[in-house]
Amino acid sequence: MTFEDWFRTDRLPHIYCAGCGNGTIINCTLAAIDQMSWKKEETVFISGIGCSSRAPGYIVTDSLHTTHGRALAFATGVKMANPALNVVIFTGDGDLAAIGGNHFIHACRRNIDLTVVCMNNQIYGMTGGQGSPTTPKGCLSTTTPYGCSEPPFDLCELAIAAGANYVARWTSYHVKELEKAVRAGLETPGFSFIEAMTQCPTNFGRRNKFKQVADQVDYLKTHGVLRAKRERMIEQGEKIPEDLFVIGELMRRNRPAMGVKP
Amino acid sequence: MKLAIDETRCKGCNLCTKVCPYKIFKEGNKPNRKGIVVPELDRPERCANCRLQHLYGRTLCGVCQLTCPDQAIHWVEEQPYEPKKVAIEY
Ligand SMILES: Cc1ncc(C[n+]2csc(CCOP(=O)(O)OP(=O)(O)O)c2C)c(N)n1
Ligand code: SF4
Ligand code: SF4
Ligand code: SF4
Ligand SMILES: [Mg+2]
Repeated sequence: MTFEDWFRTDRLPHIYCAGCGNGTIINCTLAAIDQMSWKKEETVFISGIGCSSRAPGYIVTDSLHTTHGRALAFATGVKMANPALNVVIFTGDGDLAAIGGNHFIHACRRNIDLTVVCMNNQIYGMTGGQGSPTTPKGCLSTTTPYGCSEPPFDLCELAIAAGANYVARWTSYHVKELEKAVRAGLETPGFSFIEAMTQCPTNFGRRNKFKQVADQVDYLKTHGVLRAKRERMIEQGEKIPEDLFVIGELMRRNRPAMGVKP
Repeated sequence: MKLAIDETRCKGCNLCTKVCPYKIFKEGNKPNRKGIVVPELDRPERCANCRLQHLYGRTLCGVCQLTCPDQAIHWVEEQPYEPKKVAIEY
């Protein structure tokens, strides 16, 4: 089997814009799931609302496309009602961290055995490019026309502080690493959070000096630093530019978890 | 195995032209029926997966396929078998 077998081919091509990174992240997630020898009828995909949240609609298994921000609330219900199911959540930065922020921290605190893949394009893509809690300082969006003046959330730090067992961040450029991280998340009992930084050429790139899709992917490639490298830079007293973000596995631990398969 | 782009799915984003270590994907120049400029393949038989997938029994490299946001890249069996002389760069 390959990851292609998990797609509802009659629904493709999907509605994402040309060059949207969401498709890449679905590929990597399905490639990881394909290695798990999970049965399709025992696997459920759950999402909220947003471009990212349309992902389960393109996958053959049962799925719940729920209300905005509530993917984790529904997922908690599904997993606690039937812990034998494998539950994977697709969400966006707005869905997870803005309207769904409270569900996020409490799902981490409860450490429910779910795997969450967040497509962080740093914008509300679906509704036309409003700023989100992860829009970086200085970036343009329809709600920050003079540049965002607020500091963004670090979603991985939030997940770690709130108690998630597995936390990793990669980008749509690092496809193999992302696939491995999702796999590690699927294998770890308890709450697994994988943040995939991704390009939204239509609503983020266009307003922020990324003329071509590849320009934004290049930015993600060059601005992610491995945790070890960042620590080395700090040790050597180097100043860390504000636009760098940490990539790699950021947490793996064994706090007591809920809803683990019997 | 033979590398192929599915023109019914490709949206012409050109991300594949950035990721292949052999630079097999080249930006195209003619729009197709849908108005999309699909990349062209430059000597695709150099692809690691084309040459070695059957020998190893698994996908090798496959970075272009994982990267393609539109699930447009895949490999098809060659029929009838087409012998090819391949010069490998390394
Ligand atoms: C209760 C509610 N409030 C607001 C909306 C409008 N809305 C739809 S998608 C969205 C933001 C999605 O942003 P994100 O989760 O980052 O997804 P993206 O489209 O960027 O992938 C908003 C505010 C809604 N559908 N429901
Ligand atoms: S608006 Fe942005 S996130 Fe939504 S499909 Fe288009 S590129 Fe992707
Ligand atoms: S990455 Fe996929 S959609 Fe984009 S140009 Fe290449 S084949 Fe087409
Ligand atoms: S599988 Fe690797 S070598 Fe083959 S075409 Fe794709 S990126 Fe190039
Ligand atoms: Mg978003």
